[in-house]
Amino acid sequence: MCFKNLPVVFDDAGKAHLREGINDPYVYKPAPTTEERQQRIEGLLARNGHIKEISIDPVTRVAGALAFHSVVDLETRTVHDAHSMATLFRGYEVILKGRDPRDAIFISSRACGVCGGVHANAAAEAIEMAFGIAPPPMGTVIRNLGQAAEFLYDHPLHLFLLAGPDYSEPIIRATNPEVWSLAETFTTRHGAVHGFTKMSDLMTALTPLSGSLYLEAFEITRKAREMCSIIWGKYPHPQTIVPGGISTTINTQVLNEYQIRLFALLDHSKKMALIWDDISEFMYAAKPEYRQVGARPRSLIELGIWDHPDAYDATYANAAASGERRWATPGVMIDGELRTNDLHKINLGLEEFVEHSFYEQWTNGSPKFATDPLGNPLSPHHPWNKETLPAPQGRSWKEKYTWSTAPRWDREVVEAGAYARMWITAVSKKLPPNPFIEATGTSLKMTLPKGVLPEMTLEWVVPMENNAIERNRARAFAQPYTALVCLNNLLAAYELMKSGNTRVSVDFKVPRDERIGVGFWGAGRGYLAHHLTMDKGVITNYQINTPSTTNASPADPFGKPGPYEEAVMNTPILEQYATPDDFKAIDILRTIRSFDPCMPCTTHVYAGSRTIVQEVTTCACELDE
Amino acid sequence: MGGVGYTNLRDMSVGPLLVERLGRSAWPDGVDIEDLSAGAIHVLHALQAGPVYDAAILVAGVRRGGPPGTIRERRWLHPRQTDEAVQERVAEALVGIIDLDTLVTVLDHFGALPRDTRIIEVEPRDEDWGETLSAPVEAVQAELDRLVRRTVDEALR
Repeated sequence: MCFKNLPVVFDDAGKAHLREGINDPYVYKPAPTTEERQQRIEGLLARNGHIKEISIDPVTRVAGALAFHSVVDLETRTVHDAHSMATLFRGYEVILKGRDPRDAIFISSRACGVCGGVHANAAAEAIEMAFGIAPPPMGTVIRNLGQAAEFLYDHPLHLFLLAGPDYSEPIIRATNPEVWSLAETFTTRHGAVHGFTKMSDLMTALTPLSGSLYLEAFEITRKAREMCSIIWGKYPHPQTIVPGGISTTINTQVLNEYQIRLFALLDHSKKMALIWDDISEFMYAAKPEYRQVGARPRSLIELGIWDHPDAYDATYANAAASGERRWATPGVMIDGELRTNDLHKINLGLEEFVEHSFYEQWTNGSPKFATDPLGNPLSPHHPWNKETLPAPQGRSWKEKYTWSTAPRWDREVVEAGAYARMWITAVSKKLPPNPFIEATGTSLKMTLPKGVLPEMTLEWVVPMENNAIERNRARAFAQPYTALVCLNNLLAAYELMKSGNTRVSVDFKVPRDERIGVGFWGAGRGYLAHHLTMDKGVITNYQINTPSTTNASPADPFGKPGPYEEAVMNTPILEQYATPDDFKAIDILRTIRSFDPCMPCTTHVYAGSRTIVQEVTTCACELDE
Repeated sequence: MGGVGYTNLRDMSVGPLLVERLGRSAWPDGVDIEDLSAGAIHVLHALQAGPVYDAAILVAGVRRGGPPGTIRERRWLHPRQTDEAVQERVAEALVGIIDLDTLVTVLDHFGALPRDTRIIEVEPRDEDWGETLSAPVEAVQAELDRLVRRTVDEALR
């Protein structure tokens, strides 16, 4: 069964229908759980001095500004409550309304200062669906090259420059000296590849500003950025992604320039995956309880990314079939069970809720779109029906406390990430035939060509649990995976060039009638969707749903907390501290950072104990409502 | 001379707008007018790949307090910063923050700032989305141009 909570069933022909006999099929009654939970927490705080409110604002070393509030029992070393707060309304969706749809590629890209390309590509696909055009094969392949290069920038940036310091010598020494003692005698498994035979040496190399791995990551990310600029003209906001393809002039020299850098990154990716494999195994060996840090159900969502040039035609009708031929497979997994790979079904299951978000409800009256273009039923809470109605107000844990909405699939809490991409691709076994990557059903096997390091086959095995360490480990293996996607597409580009198929875009006219489109895409951090409606040549509604909107979401109307919140509440406090003032919340921070949050820029002040107050102006990779 | 700041952010875009204006003029050999509206690590890499400069003049809209349109000029004295402070700025730069203080801290830490670095700041009034400057900031643009030209002349002596 695909949907267990939504009133949607499928007939023998596979067409979706609303379940019969239900008057208002999508109506729901908000659960009182949140209010009860808040009353219980307030009681605990009042009665117990050892239970503390910990506010981290901002959470540093994440993209944009995220604030996090938690209630921690420093005696039992448990987290009673958690709230994730996106603290600024950015309004990209409001900015885009009424504009020429082509502007969406360039304006939505500005939502993020790290991964602008993902928004540009998602917007291009939404526009193509609405316009009824599709890129020629070379256009699709070159877009893949640009997009994969962006991830080659994004993953090492996170693992060595943002999350990596959490596992560095200074942090480990300060928070868990007993773990450091073990690191000094722990022999790594892959030292022959990455060069660190002792775990303590590896952790020293992760030290910010001085560690060799930290400093090396600057050079690695530089190469990846150069690859992006070769394809996109500039970075982080591409100038060459256009409806119907790409405007880059592609010749052998361009592909060679890209290839030189790719081969350096292919080599580095071998080290990167095995470094994090070693860190993961060491942390488990040091304390098996690390398996619980950041743990939450294996409920994941992925829209797939990197289209196959023979399959992508930008039509909604063909989205399910072409989605399954992508270089990363779309899918939804609930509690470890793969529910679907079908982009139509994934789309039908999407809803956004704002009970705990600074927005007004928009669902008065009939939804604008009762069905998708194929006649399948859509919820009034579906992005095509959603309106962005900001309603700034005071913060209340019982009511509203964030600018993030609560996206859900089949009313289940799902999370997005590079790890969701790896996980769903591995178990789905639908990768296009290729010589380098194999999805086995339980793993991804990757054969990396010889560089300075010898040819080697790496295998990322689908883990039994979803936790902070596994998120990082999968992200590290996503680097060789992504590099091999680059290699596959580079070879495809050479083949197309050889056969004279060098056209990279098609002509188009902006339609004047009412149209609808969606860009099913992905960011380095996972799932990304742009839903677009247009009429008379301008955008009538634009909805951006990013991975961090999903992951940073607040509780939903059914009383279920968002992924960050749930993962933190499941986290045992393992750090050592003599007094509450020594508490650094490293386990909570490792949990949050393991999602690779990408939040909106903000100017935010919160006056409370143990609170850092800071004004920043920055990028934002999410919640662009 | 580099303009620092986001584009299309009203008075916070005074640096990039100045670069656009000054870039249309002829300048002596060895003087480059650069749009530095990018993260500090991007700028660091660009500087490392380019020519070595004897002097730098960085211009940005920066809110420090005071009447909008106030122009402040100072030399960067290369203060010692703690590793924590630098790391915080590096992390901000990596995730897309474009900010003068972040830029000079990161560039200085990695030895990419010339010894002779001068900072020119303009106090903003409006920092919402848009292409135009507020009236008080617009009113000082001619003065800003003259100041930058004079500072370039001084640096060339």
